[in-house]
Amino acid sequence: MFTAAAAAILLTMGLAIVRALLGPTLYDRILAVNMFGTKTVLIIAVLGFLTGRPDFLDIALVYALINFIGVIAVLKFFEYGSLGAGRSDSRDPTS
Amino acid sequence: MIEQIADGASWAFIVTGAVFLVIGGIGVLRMPDVFTRLHAAGITDTLASGLILVGLMFQGGWTLVSVKLVLILLFLLFTSPVSSHALARAALHGGIRPILADSRGK
Amino acid sequence: MAAIVDYAVLAFLAVTAVALLHFRNLFAVVMLASIYSLLSAALFVRLDAVDVAFTEAAVGAGISTILMLGSLALVGSKEERPRHTPIIPLLVVAVTGAALIYGTLDMPPFGRADNPVHQHVAPRYIQETPEKIDVPNVVTAVLASYRGYDTMGEVIVIFTAAIGVVLLLGIRQPRGEKESRSNEKGPTRGGKASE
Repeated sequence: MFTAAAAAILLTMGLAIVRALLGPTLYDRILAVNMFGTKTVLIIAVLGFLTGRPDFLDIALVYALINFIGVIAVLKFFEYGSLGAGRSDSRDPTS
Repeated sequence: MIEQIADGASWAFIVTGAVFLVIGGIGVLRMPDVFTRLHAAGITDTLASGLILVGLMFQGGWTLVSVKLVLILLFLLFTSPVSSHALARAALHGGIRPILADSRGK
Repeated sequence: MAAIVDYAVLAFLAVTAVALLHFRNLFAVVMLASIYSLLSAALFVRLDAVDVAFTEAAVGAGISTILMLGSLALVGSKEERPRHTPIIPLLVVAVTGAALIYGTLDMPPFGRADNPVHQHVAPRYIQETPEKIDVPNVVTAVLASYRGYDTMGEVIVIFTAAIGVVLLLGIRQPRGEKESRSNEKGPTRGGKASE
């Protein structure tokens, strides 16, 4: 049962990687990275049960938060042009 | 007896979650546009993750492990719709136009 | 049973690494580097190093991605084409890599208790920690007490790196730029929203 779940999560990770490789715009790639992050949280939780040591859930919990904050920071960067004192005309989101 | 019911429920939830994961993953590949791909990714992030985590909770029993799984589930339920909305808004602001039904004939 | 995770993660790592080298658009490269860090974190979880996995995920997929995007805002995002085909460097790397892999074929199995590396210092640490150091966790005792200078050096390195990044990127926003940017954003956002 856990093996089936792990296989499904790995398959979805592979599909997310294909989308990150193919995605014509940058937002496809950000979507793929966000999806990959939540799949990593799931695979850590399932791996904990698969190997009989569910103590890894702390890592999954904190990483779920960090993934969210990272994606929001990346999106804020693309909406407002820069993280600080940089130029805002050098971004290229549609390639 | 209770253990078998818990095992059966856990199995049902995990398999349903795995099926939705693969469906959402295939959707992310086959959808034509960023905004439609967001729908498919939302299925994997929120629905399938929720089902798999509930299934794991039945395996964990009444211990601290289930409390941590509940916390992970709550965080995922709150944060992945917010991420999807932020991504859609950033894509719209960045200039990506959605493919609409009346724009395909041009 | 869990070996399938190992094979799949290693295959994804290889695919992502090749794709990282292939793309010329540096925004795509930064996103793929984030995926590479997440895959490495999963690999570290499989190797039972959970704290390393968490650090890799937080630093590689979180902070490093954002910092690299900040740098791309300063320098622009297209990579130039290389001017020569890298055949000879590829050959040198392939030969060196093959020699290294050939050298690892003689190593003892991973993590076995009677490996030669576990016979000298490790039993002493495990025996002496409860009596002499009085920290309940042996790993913490090794990091903070037996190898304390190491940890101090690492903290200094990370602090220097943080100072360097803040000086280079300049997180403060100049005031004129902030006002002009907020003025120009209003009409465009309203126009796009009403479409």
